[in-house]
Amino acid sequence: MFERALNVFWVVLGAASAVYAWSLGMIGPAGPESGLFPFIASVIVASAGVVLLLRPATVAHAPDFPRGGGLWRVLGVILGLIVMAAGMPYLGFSVTSFITMIILLRTVDRSSWLSAVTLAFLSTVSVFWLFGSMLGMALPRGPWGW
Amino acid sequence: MMEALNGLLTGFGVILTPANLYLCFLGSLIGTLVGVLPGVGPLAALALLLPVTFTLSPIGGMVMLASIFYGAMYGGSTTSILLNIPGEAASVVTCIDGHQMARQGRAGPALGIAAIGSFIAGTLGVVIMTFFAPAIAAAAIRFGPPENFALMVLGLVCTLFMISGSTIKGVLMMALGFLTAAVGLDVVNGRERYTFGSVDLSGGIELLALVIGLFGVAEILSNVETMAKTTLLADRIRGLWPSLADWRASWRAILRGSGLGFVLGLVPGGGPVTAAFMSYALEKRIAAQPDRFGKGAIEGVAGPESANNSAVAGSLIPVLSLGIPGNPVTALLLGALIIQGIQPGPLFIAQRPDLFWGIVASMYVGNVFLLLLNLPLVGLWVQFLRIPYRVMFPVVLLLCVVGTYSANKNVFDLWVMLAFGVAGYVLRKLEYDLAPFVIAFVLAPLLEQSLRQSLVMSSDGAMILIKRPVTGLLLAASVVLTFLMFRRRTKTEGGLP
Repeated sequence: MFERALNVFWVVLGAASAVYAWSLGMIGPAGPESGLFPFIASVIVASAGVVLLLRPATVAHAPDFPRGGGLWRVLGVILGLIVMAAGMPYLGFSVTSFITMIILLRTVDRSSWLSAVTLAFLSTVSVFWLFGSMLGMALPRGPWGW
Repeated sequence: MMEALNGLLTGFGVILTPANLYLCFLGSLIGTLVGVLPGVGPLAALALLLPVTFTLSPIGGMVMLASIFYGAMYGGSTTSILLNIPGEAASVVTCIDGHQMARQGRAGPALGIAAIGSFIAGTLGVVIMTFFAPAIAAAAIRFGPPENFALMVLGLVCTLFMISGSTIKGVLMMALGFLTAAVGLDVVNGRERYTFGSVDLSGGIELLALVIGLFGVAEILSNVETMAKTTLLADRIRGLWPSLADWRASWRAILRGSGLGFVLGLVPGGGPVTAAFMSYALEKRIAAQPDRFGKGAIEGVAGPESANNSAVAGSLIPVLSLGIPGNPVTALLLGALIIQGIQPGPLFIAQRPDLFWGIVASMYVGNVFLLLLNLPLVGLWVQFLRIPYRVMFPVVLLLCVVGTYSANKNVFDLWVMLAFGVAGYVLRKLEYDLAPFVIAFVLAPLLEQSLRQSLVMSSDGAMILIKRPVTGLLLAASVVLTFLMFRRRTKTEGGLP
């Protein structure tokens, strides 16, 4: 069922993209326009989606998505990355990665609070020191300057 | 011949400086570590370290990245043999006989023959590369936009021919790669495409965010799903040097693996993973007693481990001499060169001999470093396996964030990384091969430019692609391969490809 829905998505994506690419222009007086190449790619995406849709139901793959603990761990990692991307511009790298690490260690590993905080602190300081100080990369800083 | 030897001397002149030797050693060290640790592949490691190389000279950066690539091939066998867990994909097949040898108390000779076979194959591969790459580049130097276009098409078709799983899914991934690369400014006239008014999208999708998402974050998501709360442990290893009987059984497999690996490395879509599998199949097929395979046959370790190392040298030839990557790792290396302002292709050797020959020479030196790192220090690498994955993955995830952010200092790239990470995780579950996507993404600007230049210079439209002999031949080969590919898949899958 999921794969069938995805195949429909490919067809819709390919068709919508082809319409948009067409609006960019195909061939002009100076030769090929901006839309030609994406139009060809879009047609391939839509056509491949149609072919996959036409496959017999037995060939369609039923993905083995996680359940229970596995699902929570996967969601924990995604949540951690969302916090990281959303928080970094406001809180800086150090504070955001510290919070993210605690989320990861608590949801994914089910570590105790003490070991989660300790590990989060140590890994954040190590990464900040290695990349921010040693390699001179400009990591975002929070309002408090670190 | 003399030209190649002179070039090699130039290369050694470039590489034998303290700074470049240090970077080669560092890359070999990181590569071995990446190979040893399950869950961190060479592609993710290269993507993570790519921003670091921006601060280095082009030669230093490329030497480091290339040595991580071939270093991972060396290190990958350690966990395969000791724990039956492949450190990276090209060492999957080493698990079969390597781990059986370890269970029989012969882990030492298995590790020894893997390292020595890797060294012999890696060195042989570089020797062939030394003479072969300039010849290919010299032949391709007369190529114009139509020939470049046809060559890239053939490369993409070969990639599809070699992928595992559904061809149609591979074609779809390739087209999606083209579409994703179209986001941003048109390479020819600077017009915005697929940006929908977003300033962040006008710069295009960042290669690093895409690769780290697809291969770093997606890998972590897959691993945490089935994460066991155990620490990987291994017994003490004794007697690394193989016996005379081991040598007798292995030397032919090493040579065959070296040759096969090199050829499969050359073919787009081939590379170390395919080479290792094909070598194992070959050794089993020609063995006098095929039933020994799977029960600790040393040829089952020597052949594939040699093949995956030799394939690295082979796979660098098309990317350096033609500008066409055959697998995601070489696509990333191509991206790294482009970011440094260097365009690999037929003119690369003539225009930047220091860089080309420096990379070749560094591979000779790197192979020696890797032999030294992998044989005496195998005990040290085993200690790294004591780090539990639950401790390792949050740190790897932080490195993913730092690696992605540092490319453009733009938080938007983190969202891109997350989106591609989730997409990669789901698509892997549905058995979509991601290699055509990455290769198409990297090649798309070059392919589009070649196509448009060909059409502009043509007086009778697309016929230019058929009328020119080299172009016609390359496109005919692409059509034949496409036909064979679909016929093969239809036969084996008994329905639609």
